[in-house]
Amino acid sequence: MKKLIQLNVNGDSHEIAVSPETSLLNALRGELDLIGPKKGCDSGGCGCCSVHVDGEVVYSCMMYAAAAQGKRITTVEGIGKPDDLHPVQQAFIDAGAVQCGYCTSGMMMAAKQLLDTTPNPDEATIRHAIAGNLCRCTGYSKIVDAIKLAASRL
Amino acid sequence: MSVIGQSVTRPDALDKVTGGKGYPVNFDLPGMLHAKMLRSPYPHAKIRSIDTSAVEKLPGVKAVLTHADVPDRKFTPVYFVPTDTKSMPQDMLIMSDHVRFAGQPVAAVAATTADIADQAAELIEVEYEELPAVFDPEEAMQPGAPKLHDYSENNIAVAPVMEFGDIEQGFAEADQIFEGTYTTQRVHTCYLEPRVCVAEYDGTGGYTINSSQQHLFGLREKLADVLEIPHSKVTVIKPPYIGGGFGGKLDIGFIEPIAALLSKKTGKPVRMEQSRYEDMITTTRNPIKVYLKTGVKKDGTMTARYGHSILDTGAHATHGAEVINVHGFALLASYGCMNAKWEGKTVHTNNMIGGGYRGYGAPQAMFAVESQNDEICEALGLDSIEFRRKNTRRSGQPHPLVPMLKIDSYAMDEVLDQGAEAIGWANRKEANSDAGTVKRGRGMALFPFWVSGCVGFPDIYEHSGAIVKLNGDGTADVATAAMDIGSGQTTALLQIAAEELGVPMEAMRMVQNSDTTTVPFDAPTHASRVTYSAGLAIQAASNSAKQRVKEVAGIMLEANPEDLDVADGIVSVKGSPDKSVSVADVASRADSPFIQVGPEGPAPTTLEEKGTIIGMSSQAPPSNPSPIAAGFVDVAVDTDTGEVTVERVVYSHDLGKVINPNAAEGQVEGGFQQGMGMALMEHIQFDPDSGTCLTGDFLDYKIPTAVEMPADIESVFIESNEPTGPFGAKSMSEACCVVPAPAIANAIYNATGARIKDLPITPEKVLAALGKL
Ligand code: FES
Ligand code: FES
Repeated sequence: MKKLIQLNVNGDSHEIAVSPETSLLNALRGELDLIGPKKGCDSGGCGCCSVHVDGEVVYSCMMYAAAAQGKRITTVEGIGKPDDLHPVQQAFIDAGAVQCGYCTSGMMMAAKQLLDTTPNPDEATIRHAIAGNLCRCTGYSKIVDAIKLAASRL
Repeated sequence: MSVIGQSVTRPDALDKVTGGKGYPVNFDLPGMLHAKMLRSPYPHAKIRSIDTSAVEKLPGVKAVLTHADVPDRKFTPVYFVPTDTKSMPQDMLIMSDHVRFAGQPVAAVAATTADIADQAAELIEVEYEELPAVFDPEEAMQPGAPKLHDYSENNIAVAPVMEFGDIEQGFAEADQIFEGTYTTQRVHTCYLEPRVCVAEYDGTGGYTINSSQQHLFGLREKLADVLEIPHSKVTVIKPPYIGGGFGGKLDIGFIEPIAALLSKKTGKPVRMEQSRYEDMITTTRNPIKVYLKTGVKKDGTMTARYGHSILDTGAHATHGAEVINVHGFALLASYGCMNAKWEGKTVHTNNMIGGGYRGYGAPQAMFAVESQNDEICEALGLDSIEFRRKNTRRSGQPHPLVPMLKIDSYAMDEVLDQGAEAIGWANRKEANSDAGTVKRGRGMALFPFWVSGCVGFPDIYEHSGAIVKLNGDGTADVATAAMDIGSGQTTALLQIAAEELGVPMEAMRMVQNSDTTTVPFDAPTHASRVTYSAGLAIQAASNSAKQRVKEVAGIMLEANPEDLDVADGIVSVKGSPDKSVSVADVASRADSPFIQVGPEGPAPTTLEEKGTIIGMSSQAPPSNPSPIAAGFVDVAVDTDTGEVTVERVVYSHDLGKVINPNAAEGQVEGGFQQGMGMALMEHIQFDPDSGTCLTGDFLDYKIPTAVEMPADIESVFIESNEPTGPFGAKSMSEACCVVPAPAIANAIYNATGARIKDLPITPEKVLAALGKL
């Protein structure tokens, strides 16, 4: 049975009808057309679907949409726009951290949370902060470079 | 050069950091249905009956498809060969009443939502007759083993043999003979965007399809052939990019024909997206067991080499029938030993189907070759680098794969010497010389010979095309069927076009909305071919556009076109840079009305100036130049836990010419991650009784994270300037994935004195090799 729920995403309030088992990821992509969060595994293993819920990184595939009611949800679409990029987005471009880009949305959400709480993280801290986000293209070197670059600009 | 050799920003990066709209996974059509498959729980069975009647009546279900509804047409799904190629077996069916692996699709449901389709598929009633199954390829070859296909005697799908020189004489000349057996496991490409497609039937016998794939025209040909319609009846949309491929999307899947048939049945567009579990059992690197024997003189000269390889291709031959050949080449002929013989067998089992994966048989071969090469060095007291230098080919020698060609650019000495210098090879310690529990070691591996595409290989497509069209503002649009699968093909191709045209990179744009009706054929994004082969085609199209720019500019400047230079968007007369006109003015003049009205009144242009400036090409590359890659690693082995940590990596690469240094480094760094995963941790595993996959998600199938990956990966690029390549470039993106596993195994030996010949090198295997388990 579908139920109406209220989701606060990127500062906007939306009312959508979802089943109790609908994941936040499916609600964002399917109901709200927010295609930034990606489905890489749907089982909590890759981090492509990472979003912020009340400022914390969560795998949106592992959270029920209904459980996100009343919380502040931020997707990659909410951190910057093509003509007004967040420093993390700009740094991912400048450092060459984007290849296929499928991990990028989730990776940047993990990076942003790190930098929101830790202004000048060292290499090991950065690597641990993104250990829940898989990338198959880059070997992570340029992603780590990008996060260092963003830290230096923030 | 102003654009080549620059780390220009990828044009697709902005879209990707702001959400990434271009992936096939986002493709959506009004009224679209969603389809899911029912897959067999049994690895080997006959379907006695299948009852879909109850499911068809469920609310939301629009159509059901079983083996009875699909064409009974066998095919090879591999994109880079013709569907009915004589070089590979045709033993695939879209669906069949003969189940040959656990997970084989037996039915599919299209419904209004994916959840309804999924639940409905599970309710289909199938009566199976279980058959005995075989999972080990050596058992599968024994008399009396369960038989998978009529054509494959003893389940052997193909059994190629390669031989040259006089192997008996070669072994007779050897001072010492070395032999060993080396095994590699099943690993997955782990592209992160799932295989996904949307197919739409047009009501008159044709289909349009968008899919996450590595070959636009391959999908067109395969889908048309399996549906038994003309090729032009299928239109494949070119997505701007896909979320990774690595060889894992180099064949038509089950989803594309099934979605197409469901679309025909329902009259609606149908979307199918695989779950990670489904992806994990859809093509992998084929596991290969290699027996390798080498004869060597005391001074390190190889006199003979013999190899025997058994490849587990699973339920169908598909890529396994070609991977075996490429593997045999790498095993036997990547070095220059002139007396050699190899026998390969591609064997059917009731395992999942194998597939393409970066290196295509070479990682399995070079794990054996480079491990054994180091064993030889250890036993004879030879230096690893000097042994390799002595036994590799040289520039000027015949091309080992394409006899009509010779090896041109080939900077073997520089690759070995500069890599050795960067890692500090001279300081390598004796094997097992650390005293503590954590022992450190240094190792290297070489991949001496590989391809830049497939020119010269039987039955493999190898040509490319491009259209370059100038706009009146001095920009240019490029259209090509070459797929960007993440590694930056679009960027490299646009850099080549910009350099050749003589315009800045910012002036270049890849056409975003194209399909198989609007772009010329291109072979797949595979075999390290795009920069070289598609690059040459782009360069040719850009050159023909540039010639036209010069003709029009010649009229405008009253100069001979041959006396003109084009650079940075300006056409100028050689020697008199003041006499110039911008490419923008030339292009808009060519596109202007015939009579232009200016302040002085109407002024006619000339017929010779008229016509949009456009360049086109469709061509095969003239050669197949080899890159060279050497990988050097430092590892630490915890001899209490068996854990191996890679601490430092140096790659040395002859890639002809670096088009984009940042992107080239990115290829190497990513290639190392995949190679290290294969070396140390990745392994698709199955339940030994039921044959079902036990590693269907990333919790059970571990790939290296940012924490396991070494922070220190250095790339040394050697620019040997390939004379046939676009601005001297040849290939790079597979070789870097081939060397990590043997380099790591050799470093583990150097650290501990333990030689492990069976991948992945897990902590358990390390402890067992150290006698601690
Ligand atoms: S899709 Fe959510 S963790 Fe992979
Ligand atoms: S860029 Fe492709 S998965 Fe990270």
